Amino acid sequence: MVAHTGSTRVVRSAGRLNAPRPALVEANASGVPMLVNRQSVALVREEWRVVDRWWTEEPVVRRYFELVLDSGQNSVVFRDEERGCWFTQRA
Amino acid sequence: MIACLVIPGFELRAALRPRPRLALRPAALAPAEGTEPLLGPVTAAAESVGVKPGMRLGEALALCPSLVLIEADPQRAEREWEEILRRLEDAGIAISPAEPGTAFFETRGIERLYGGIEPALKRALAAAGPTWDARIGAAERKFAALAAAHVAGPGQLLVVSDESTREFLAPMPLGLLPLREEQQQELKELGVRRLGELAGLPGGAVAERLGPDGRRAWSLARGGERRRVRGRRPPSELVERLEFPEAIGNELTLRRAFNVLLDRLLVRPEREQRFARKVAIAARLVGGASWRRTLTLRDPTIERDRLRAALAPKLAELPAPVLELRLELVELTESTGQQLELLQAAGAELDTRLSEGLRQVRSSTGSGSVNTVVEVAPWSRIPEARALFVPRDD
Repeated sequence: MVAHTGSTRVVRSAGRLNAPRPALVEANASGVPMLVNRQSVALVREEWRVVDRWWTEEPVVRRYFELVLDSGQNSVVFRDEERGCWFTQRA
Repeated sequence: MIACLVIPGFELRAALRPRPRLALRPAALAPAEGTEPLLGPVTAAAESVGVKPGMRLGEALALCPSLVLIEADPQRAEREWEEILRRLEDAGIAISPAEPGTAFFETRGIERLYGGIEPALKRALAAAGPTWDARIGAAERKFAALAAAHVAGPGQLLVVSDESTREFLAPMPLGLLPLREEQQQELKELGVRRLGELAGLPGGAVAERLGPDGRRAWSLARGGERRRVRGRRPPSELVERLEFPEAIGNELTLRRAFNVLLDRLLVRPEREQRFARKVAIAARLVGGASWRRTLTLRDPTIERDRLRAALAPKLAELPAPVLELRLELVELTESTGQQLELLQAAGAELDTRLSEGLRQVRSSTGSGSVNTVVEVAPWSRIPEARALFVPRDD
């Protein structure tokens, strides 16, 4: 039998819970989100920063926003300052 | 020994019973409505011109423009199959049907009755009837018996001894194994075309490549497990039918008719307070075709509302107006009561139930579908670093 290439193999390793998911965010000049996944932001409830692992080769620099969208949905998004992109995550 | 009786293309043969002349012409079972346009079993005349079961309809008609498409008649097929099973049971055989056209039985009991394995199997062939071209394979293991029945010719017996089982199975095609089309294709691409080639591979490697199905197929290719075959419990004959003066297509009317049949069935004294385990709803359709849906209930019941909730939605699947509606209690439980729980399950009992539930989820959704959440750094400021989910395959 030919060895498996691994392309269709079932992954059985541990996974991360609550991993960030890419989000489509439009922010104003001061970096505060105005649109999240094509929904307008009604209210910014809270804002905080997480700076961690600065001593490693993969430092974490994030600016989190807890938002209420126009639809009434609560949402937490952050901007990854290292990579320059936006994500949603349950904080 | 275990014997396997096979009637190839049973559904086509059953559908051709009222039109025996068509059996001599190129004919095939038409694909069911709403499914892929692939042919069912075909007659010998169709096979002789290159039409094969599973062929695309367009391709088959291009190959044989005179091909006659026969509409399946599940009601007739079920009735004919039941008659065959009853004739076998009348001959003293405890039969275990696998699907219409395939049934297994233990030969041990009837060998003494008929003076040896060969006379016993001949009696079984005679009981099946000469018009069906039944054939029987016998071996110590179920899968080998099935393979032997596929090799035997019409009206023939083939007995395979346990010592020669692997040798017998080795040249057989992979199509006998319960593998999906893509899994069979994958094996073929790897150069594995015969059961012997699959049986020669390391079991672990096959399981790694094809998962639990592959492991089972590998085990079958080596002869399979030695298991006993239990005879079926003869079905009950609780049937209620309603004939309509004209064809009915209105779902509301059909639902009302269904409710009347259900009420009539549930008050039948023959039921003797027993619960329904398997129920069926069948119809004779305008134009002569038939329709049937069978349902095995997870928890046997006689509650009217539960039976109605399970069966009534099937009426929406009726493909044509109905001339006759039938409702059957196919299988009843032996018990006449249900043991309820006085205390809710707790402790070890609850763990056992949970494990069983998880096992069922895993077997239906595959490996890696059940996970445990493990907290690794609950204090972390990075949310995704706080916990991991780890697959539970134990």
